Amino acid sequence: MAQRYDAIVIGGGHNGLVTAAYLARARKKVVVLERRHVLGGAAVTEELYPGFKFTVCSYVCSLLRPQIIRDLDLPSHGFEVIPQESSFTPLPDGRYLFYHGSEEDTFQAVAKFSRRDAEAMPRFGRLMARMAKFIAPTLTMTPPDVGSLNPSELRKLLALNKQVKTLTEDELYTFARLMTMSAADYLDEWFETDVVKASLCSSGIIGTLLGPRSPGTAYVLMHHYMGEIDGAYRSWGYVRGGMGMVSEAIARAARQFGAEIRVNAEVRRILVRNGRAIGVELASGEKIYAKVIASGADPKRTFLKLIEKSDLPADFVRGIENFKIEGSSGKVNLALKEAPSFSCLPGNGVHLQGAISLGPSVDYLEKAYDDAKYGDYSHRPYVDMCVPSTLDPTLAPPGKHIMSCFIQYAPYSLRKGTWEERREEFGETVLDTIEEYIPSIRNIILHRQFLSPWDLEQMIGLTGGNIFHGELTPDQLLFLRPTPGWAQYRMPLKGLYLCGSGAHPGGGVMGAPGLNAAREILRDWALLRV
Amino acid sequence: MPESFDIVIVGGGHNGLVAATYLARGGRRVLVLERRSTVGGPVTTEEFVPGFRGPTGASVCGRLRPEVLEDLNLAKRGVQFIPAEPEVVAVGDGPALRIFRNVPKTQAELARFSQKDADTYPRFVEFLSRFAAALDPILAMPPPDIASPSLAELTGLLGRALRFRRLGKRAMQQMLRLPPMAIRDFLNEWFETELLKASYAVDALTGTFEGPWSPGTAFGLVPQFLPDGHGARSAFVRGGMGSLADALAKAARDAGATIRTDAEVVHINSADGRVTGVELAGGETIGAQAVASNADPKRTFLHLVDPEELSPEFLLHIRNFEMNGVVAKVNFALAGPPKLPAAGDGVPPHFRVCPSLEYIERAYDDAKYGQASGKPVLDVFVPTVVDPDLAPPGMHVMSTQVQYTPYALRRGGWDTEREKLADRVVTILADHIPGFERLVLGRQILTPLDLEARFGLTEGHIYHGEMTLDQSLFLRPVPGWSRYRTPIDGLYLCGSGAHPGGGITGAPGWNAAREILKDWPRRGR
Repeated sequence: MAQRYDAIVIGGGHNGLVTAAYLARARKKVVVLERRHVLGGAAVTEELYPGFKFTVCSYVCSLLRPQIIRDLDLPSHGFEVIPQESSFTPLPDGRYLFYHGSEEDTFQAVAKFSRRDAEAMPRFGRLMARMAKFIAPTLTMTPPDVGSLNPSELRKLLALNKQVKTLTEDELYTFARLMTMSAADYLDEWFETDVVKASLCSSGIIGTLLGPRSPGTAYVLMHHYMGEIDGAYRSWGYVRGGMGMVSEAIARAARQFGAEIRVNAEVRRILVRNGRAIGVELASGEKIYAKVIASGADPKRTFLKLIEKSDLPADFVRGIENFKIEGSSGKVNLALKEAPSFSCLPGNGVHLQGAISLGPSVDYLEKAYDDAKYGDYSHRPYVDMCVPSTLDPTLAPPGKHIMSCFIQYAPYSLRKGTWEERREEFGETVLDTIEEYIPSIRNIILHRQFLSPWDLEQMIGLTGGNIFHGELTPDQLLFLRPTPGWAQYRMPLKGLYLCGSGAHPGGGVMGAPGLNAAREILRDWALLRV
Repeated sequence: MPESFDIVIVGGGHNGLVAATYLARGGRRVLVLERRSTVGGPVTTEEFVPGFRGPTGASVCGRLRPEVLEDLNLAKRGVQFIPAEPEVVAVGDGPALRIFRNVPKTQAELARFSQKDADTYPRFVEFLSRFAAALDPILAMPPPDIASPSLAELTGLLGRALRFRRLGKRAMQQMLRLPPMAIRDFLNEWFETELLKASYAVDALTGTFEGPWSPGTAFGLVPQFLPDGHGARSAFVRGGMGSLADALAKAARDAGATIRTDAEVVHINSADGRVTGVELAGGETIGAQAVASNADPKRTFLHLVDPEELSPEFLLHIRNFEMNGVVAKVNFALAGPPKLPAAGDGVPPHFRVCPSLEYIERAYDDAKYGQASGKPVLDVFVPTVVDPDLAPPGMHVMSTQVQYTPYALRRGGWDTEREKLADRVVTILADHIPGFERLVLGRQILTPLDLEARFGLTEGHIYHGEMTLDQSLFLRPVPGWSRYRTPIDGLYLCGSGAHPGGGITGAPGWNAAREILKDWPRRGR
């Protein structure tokens, strides 16, 4: 029996759920179709082993738009952030860099290495925060269609220009430099201590196929200062119950507004008639029709797998084929029988509660990247580690812990072998690296999960295993994302929209693409353009 | 000779000579002061082995601005450009790829490697040519004043934007997309032939401390496609590059400028934020209303100027200006023609060893960690193929540009590494030129350290500073000071450290001269 809705959302990832919630709030009849048995896409919690809730992919929250938190009243649906305020970078020589949120504490920690750097840190932080404040409003703006002479588009350009005008001349130059410099070069201008630079650089490379010396990575430094939790920038936090609770809370809000959410409902293809997207067909053969189809899947999956090439303009297809979506990250998730102990700072202390970086120098990070360039996983990988169970006891049985390790680099395309063949070896390499800092790690592991980009693709549906639905490089951002001319959520088929991270402003758990897409869909509806 | 001049130009490099000519024609009394015995800086010819004259700096001419070519009547002054034909031969493992200036000829050649690439080639050339043509006017004007653009500038900017828009919305979007891309990614969208991609990558990356995987490098390819009015791409100059310098000097003198060689400026004098003149080695001072420095920004501001005259912020920016040179030169005097069997019969006047994008990236990897490339990229010029008088009959000059040879080495120094570098170059060339070692009568090695000592190029950087996006346009050399003027009133930059950067274009000199003349009415006493 064919069902008819106002809107279908393909994929129950956090962005798709945001779109569904906003459409439902506007009284549209919405159904979300999720392939897996569980919602959330890469923002997901899974109890893989009894008592242990693995935050399988995404592991911290910070960029979720406050507007979404407010509009959907997420706290009432169980969304709660536990601030992650500290940063711990152990060094192979037994020293470590460890600071909490307070400026005074950070000063002391950095001064152990360099007083000059300690003095520079607050100035740097303030500049990054100012830059982030400038960028933040652009996240929930629809990008202008550059090149269009349409008055409404020119108005958008002027609005953007107005945003630009809020910057001082110095800030404008800083922004231009952040967009074009490497994180390493930019940080070289501020700091002299390698570990300080490395700890800041690492945010520049997360999820990218770039190294700290790659031009453009300085921009991502700023991106990561955009975290707003209760108005404080650069405050990352754990979500109680794991990142899956972000998606779950949004889903609850959506359901409350009347949206229908189905799991185990894989969309096999988008149905097209006369240049219109009219519905979808599930793997089961069931057909569902709707006026609006919003895809939360990545651009390559959406346009190259769910739709016939012949139904799309040739230029557009070429643009999507050129869209860079090579994954570069792996994940190692561990269930531990006790808290891990670092040889440089033994015991279960405050340092275990925040961000932990295994990446002692800029060269280390760059060498890890070199391996990936040539189609191999890093033999000495960068590990972005956290033990959220130290602050959120719901994630593991008492006294036990879950450890989430995000790994750079693990390129989707290997030159030798396949990920199926080499996953174990990769995982062991990661454990070897961890063992250098936590000698007892192998003895305290109860369960392990190694995820390569290939696994992320198989499991979550992320093409190339790319966590951002496509590289966040300037040639694929703003009015160029996912491809020039199609950056405003409307896609070449009437009724078809892109609402996931493949659209502006890109990846990270922001909810912004979903919000912006919903806004454009509702606008089109109001103008009867749907 | 008057003791006081309107304008003193520090350094007789090609940009300084161009600036001198335009300033003199604009009615000003100009004095050019050059430290060496010859003008031109790295645009020069030297006898490096008795009987053999070669380029110790640039081997070929870049995109000399058509206005400069015409205004200075360089053809009448004896400058003869001889384009290399084929333009370049890309050499790797296996058959070499010859790239000609003529598009159909290159297509026929490419077809031997990939018919698909042969078919795509004209569209590639057309796309980049249109982009370069639209970009051209921007090279011939100062960067916009970002903070407070004048109405004239805003209209100019709008005009430029519309020029791009007139290329068509799609073309414009593709052009906006290009600059931040890695050259590798950009080329992979068009072609599959590795030698072709590698050769274009070398074009985009010459003199730059980045690799093909680095974002922002695609943009370096665009100026290679500027319209032909600009001298010629990879053109030799008859008599060696020094002939070009000589012609530029003649044009300057004919216009009324004075040029003094063996006159090293050791200090640019100023008081209360205004320039007053210069001081030479030996103590002689020369007064001037304005000084235009053809030296690079670091040399200018950190060695020639009083630090008290500059703000700490400005000095910090200058210290942070990336200048780590990555190019070395090895000149060979050869007993006979260096034949490359992979390239067919005869000797190619310009060839490069660049087997693949990965080869170039690995060469760059070494440099990232402070070492000279174990397997460097070689861009090789044999000027004697088109200009036999540079060597005794039947003999040849071969000038090799080697990349990456970072100025700042982590272990050891260039004095000890110099010979090893040259040996490495010989080994690579011997792979492609049978019997190469036996041909070598003598060699001259110029590491970045040598280039610094010889030409005054800080850290041996041939372009007076990295030409990456973060040091381009309104960011070159320092944010806020990209329009040739400096914080010291009356002091200007007229060399490659200013927009539009390096390469032998004459554009910085020409642009600077116009700005100096624009300022003159309020300056002259």
